[in-house]
Amino acid sequence: MKKISIYRPTSVDEAMQILSQHGKQAGVYAGGTDLLVRLKNRLEQAPTYLVDIKRIDNLRYIKEDGQGGVQIGAATKLAEMADSELLQKRYPMLVEAVHKISSPELRNVSTLGGDLLQEVWCQYLRGGYSCWRNGGHLCYGAIGDNSYYHSAMGGRLCYAVYPGDAAVALIPYDARVKLATPTGPKELTLEQLVPGDLLVDGRIQSHVVRFNEILTEVTLPPPKSGLRASFEKLRPRGVWDFAMASLALSLQVNGNTIEDSRVVFGGIAGKPLREHAVENLLRGKTLSADLGNQAAAVALTNAAPLKYNATKIDMAKGLLASGLAKLNGAA
Amino acid sequence: MEPLKAVLFEPVGCLAEFPPEPFHEIAVRLYGRKGKGSKSASRSYWHLLNLMESSAGGSIEALEIEAADGASVYEDVLPALVELRTMGVRCIITTSLSNAAAVRFLEKCPHEFDAVWTRENAHGIKAAPLARALEAACLAPDNAMFLTDTAEGLHVAKGLGINAVLMMNDPDEAMRLALRDPSGGIVSLHELPDFIRLVAAQNARALT
Repeated sequence: MKKISIYRPTSVDEAMQILSQHGKQAGVYAGGTDLLVRLKNRLEQAPTYLVDIKRIDNLRYIKEDGQGGVQIGAATKLAEMADSELLQKRYPMLVEAVHKISSPELRNVSTLGGDLLQEVWCQYLRGGYSCWRNGGHLCYGAIGDNSYYHSAMGGRLCYAVYPGDAAVALIPYDARVKLATPTGPKELTLEQLVPGDLLVDGRIQSHVVRFNEILTEVTLPPPKSGLRASFEKLRPRGVWDFAMASLALSLQVNGNTIEDSRVVFGGIAGKPLREHAVENLLRGKTLSADLGNQAAAVALTNAAPLKYNATKIDMAKGLLASGLAKLNGAA
Repeated sequence: MEPLKAVLFEPVGCLAEFPPEPFHEIAVRLYGRKGKGSKSASRSYWHLLNLMESSAGGSIEALEIEAADGASVYEDVLPALVELRTMGVRCIITTSLSNAAAVRFLEKCPHEFDAVWTRENAHGIKAAPLARALEAACLAPDNAMFLTDTAEGLHVAKGLGINAVLMMNDPDEAMRLALRDPSGGIVSLHELPDFIRLVAAQNARALT
């Protein structure tokens, strides 16, 4: 493992100063369940200067915002979210999703910010291959074993999927994030935060956060009455594994009529994939047993599976049908 | 990798799906090749070039034209070429096909390339069109990339010091070719502008 230096700032401003000072050689260190693994795997792209933000007091909380919404500090541990009565009461689908992230041990360490901004878990990147995210110019996942960690919806140089579950589950609640930046705070939707592979500061990453910016908070607006939501996740094992396909689904229901919806797939693309075609189909429809088949028929029509992962599309469509069936029976 | 200023394209396998049969037929008629031909036009084409090179023989232009007529330009090619042009990246055809076959192909691929080098105006096959393209454009080899989907293509480009970039049409073949240390690889032409932008960004990053 390469030699590293650790800074322990006590304020966000100090942390940003250090990040700016070391440029792209520095990285934020919170739970470490992604970052330390990259270092141990000797990845060229792993940072040399770690900016440990755990000593910054005001980044770890779950609190009401006074208007019916909830604010979650970026350094809040996933286990704390999973155990939060406030979140369970207002955003039960988010808690359901957090319970399905990794394992209890890792949730005790991992943070919400880390889950949102984690690096992809492509076995070629993590195995030290010289791929696009690791100093090279080729995606081995596109031509090798792409059955698990890779996109079935096309790619842009890198074909790894965005691996996080929290972002997928936050989008249906119209959550937003706050970033601290050298030029002042910035607020984004989750879709803006994680738009998929893009070039930022000369490297490919799934999110828009620049090298000298820090994710500080996730804000959830007050839950709407009549909202039904579910989170489904398919993975090879019951714990620890990442999604081969997942779905966060919310329906705004009036009587038995769907007024609005959010359909967000995870594990199949380089970003949490919001499927507007299905949302348009569902708008104005009455909940019924057949709705799942109708929705699946219009879902993911622009799929572009790689050699070994077409099954992910079938999985995602299956999750859509079962999610709608679940919410149909959840009156 | 140095900043990329030009892309050298071999149409066969990189810009279009060519039928393999005409190339195999030339190998059969002129060089006594026996057995079934490859299903890959690129492999048939480069195999033919190897035969031409080793015996200093020729080709059958009518069959090359037949191949060009049967070519189907990949749908992502023209948008990528337009984007490369707006980026100021030179796009040059470097092929071992004849002039006539190249012209016939270009009728199917309506883009104004910066130059077209064939075995006739380059006076040779394989490396010759690439070398002439570099020379005429005053390009350093490491400022150019050659897209290819064959081992021979990689070998030729690397021999000239050009960045040999894999066109990863067939995943299994691409995985084998990735072991030959290409400079990079793309799955689709639509990735090419991003490839060049990222290399530029990496160079800028290295300077800061």
